[in-house]
Amino acid sequence: MDPKTSVARSPFSSVVQRRSKSYRQSYRSYVGTMSHLAYTPGFTKRRLTTCRLAPKRCSTAEMNPEQRALLVREWQLSYVTPLYRFQHGHLKTYSRQLAAFLVSERQRGVAAEVGLESTLRVTFTLVAGMAQTEEEADTVFIKIHSKTPLALPDDPQKVLWSGWLTCVGGDPDYLRTLPEDFVCLPLFCSGGTEGLTALVKAWFQRTFDCCFGLLEINSVNLQWLAALWTDCHARTSIKQLKLVWSLPAEPPMEVIYAMHAQDASELWRSVRQPGLREEEDDGSVGLEEVACFFKGLKSHFYRHFRVELPAGRLTQVSTALGSAKHGGRIKISNSSYMITTLTLLTECALLKMPI
Amino acid sequence: MSVLRPLSKLPDINAASVLLVENEEDFQQKLAGVMVKEKSVMVKVRLAKSLPLPAKNEPNRPRIDLVVFLINLMSELSLQSAEASLKHLGQGYFLGKVCFMVTNARHAALPAERMVAVRKLASGLRCPLLYAEDQTPDGVTNAAERLLVILRVAAGCVPMTTALFLSNLTSCIVPTEEEEQQNLDFDA
Repeated sequence: MDPKTSVARSPFSSVVQRRSKSYRQSYRSYVGTMSHLAYTPGFTKRRLTTCRLAPKRCSTAEMNPEQRALLVREWQLSYVTPLYRFQHGHLKTYSRQLAAFLVSERQRGVAAEVGLESTLRVTFTLVAGMAQTEEEADTVFIKIHSKTPLALPDDPQKVLWSGWLTCVGGDPDYLRTLPEDFVCLPLFCSGGTEGLTALVKAWFQRTFDCCFGLLEINSVNLQWLAALWTDCHARTSIKQLKLVWSLPAEPPMEVIYAMHAQDASELWRSVRQPGLREEEDDGSVGLEEVACFFKGLKSHFYRHFRVELPAGRLTQVSTALGSAKHGGRIKISNSSYMITTLTLLTECALLKMPI
Repeated sequence: MSVLRPLSKLPDINAASVLLVENEEDFQQKLAGVMVKEKSVMVKVRLAKSLPLPAKNEPNRPRIDLVVFLINLMSELSLQSAEASLKHLGQGYFLGKVCFMVTNARHAALPAERMVAVRKLASGLRCPLLYAEDQTPDGVTNAAERLLVILRVAAGCVPMTTALFLSNLTSCIVPTEEEEQQNLDFDA
């Protein structure tokens, strides 16, 4: 028998055993993207979310204008590691520092804006009302305005770039284990030019010793979003459910599968109905129900078009409540179910973070 | 009967045959190309897209010593097709003559749930789960070498070792929650 090739690749009989009781290590090493490589011997509980709370509606009247600003555009998502010594009381200082940093970078010739001869002003604002528990930090919204030197003080300033850091519905156990000086705001959404985004990230990295990374929404999370949004149809119409798949054919084929909200909602209700009576409905949605819902959609498509959707990848989901793309772009169009969407995204960010 | 059985035919001397089942029919070609070059044993490689195998080839088919399911983790269809094919495999194969080989396990866009599902599948059937890299020639060679090790044992070409014995050492194990909790407590 050939001695050099190791047949035993099974992870759990490995001799090296990481005996670490640190919660944080166990939290991340269960099936985040990083831990595909580290086949941690099974001393960690599998915490894949198999059950989520059904979306709760937050009434529009309670929203403040800052929250409304979050609905305006499409955001690019990234994850952020916890920030060191970020204080919510010092936001004015931070705005001045960031403005100075941007100006100095531009004078160094690093910034990508050509021909922009205006001064920059940065504002950091707190968006209240988004944090779900007391351990979570409040959301911070950052805006970069530009003002031409010749403009009058009353002229509206053009917003060059905006972004926000948030933590909505993060795992309370994880938040409690963070050391004192760290603030956890794992989800970073940015909208604006790439150059400015990179500069803002560089400033954050320099000031708060954190790391940024691209947050992709994988196909299972897109399925969760589609199912949660369809679930909302009973209370707020989603108009239509549109799914975009990309299939690895030659040339690559893109399939846009759009259906009426009514049909999608009926299918969803039929998936939930069998095990559920009215009294038992505790408002939670399980992973099997989502899988069943999608299996129904795919088999319907196959019956009509003979195209196997599971051979490809789900790349985009959009409804009237919002749209999410695989590359990490998200747009929330409706304020009612913002919290649910953000909870899911925060969880993705927390899972993908390398800590 | 369309179920494949391990002991229904006579073996050949110093020969081993392997069946590679893959829905995409891509990695199996590369693996076959490398595996037939083996010199110590005469290796016969049969390729299939899924089970059950067509009945018309039945008389010409040799005794299959090892069935390998090649699963591309990026495609859900791959996993579903492998699961559907398992039903057409005789029970005798699950005593060490079935192996799972997955590719693309390190892909960044891989949903974690799929990896968990594959591991549960392999551990439920007590089969080894191998990870392979199929894009480079080195990766294909390595994967072929590892399969050949299991194949030689499954075909009976290695003295003092049987497929069942080997599978006890190499099968995939997913511990249950209680076992993990016990291990954590012991650590204190």
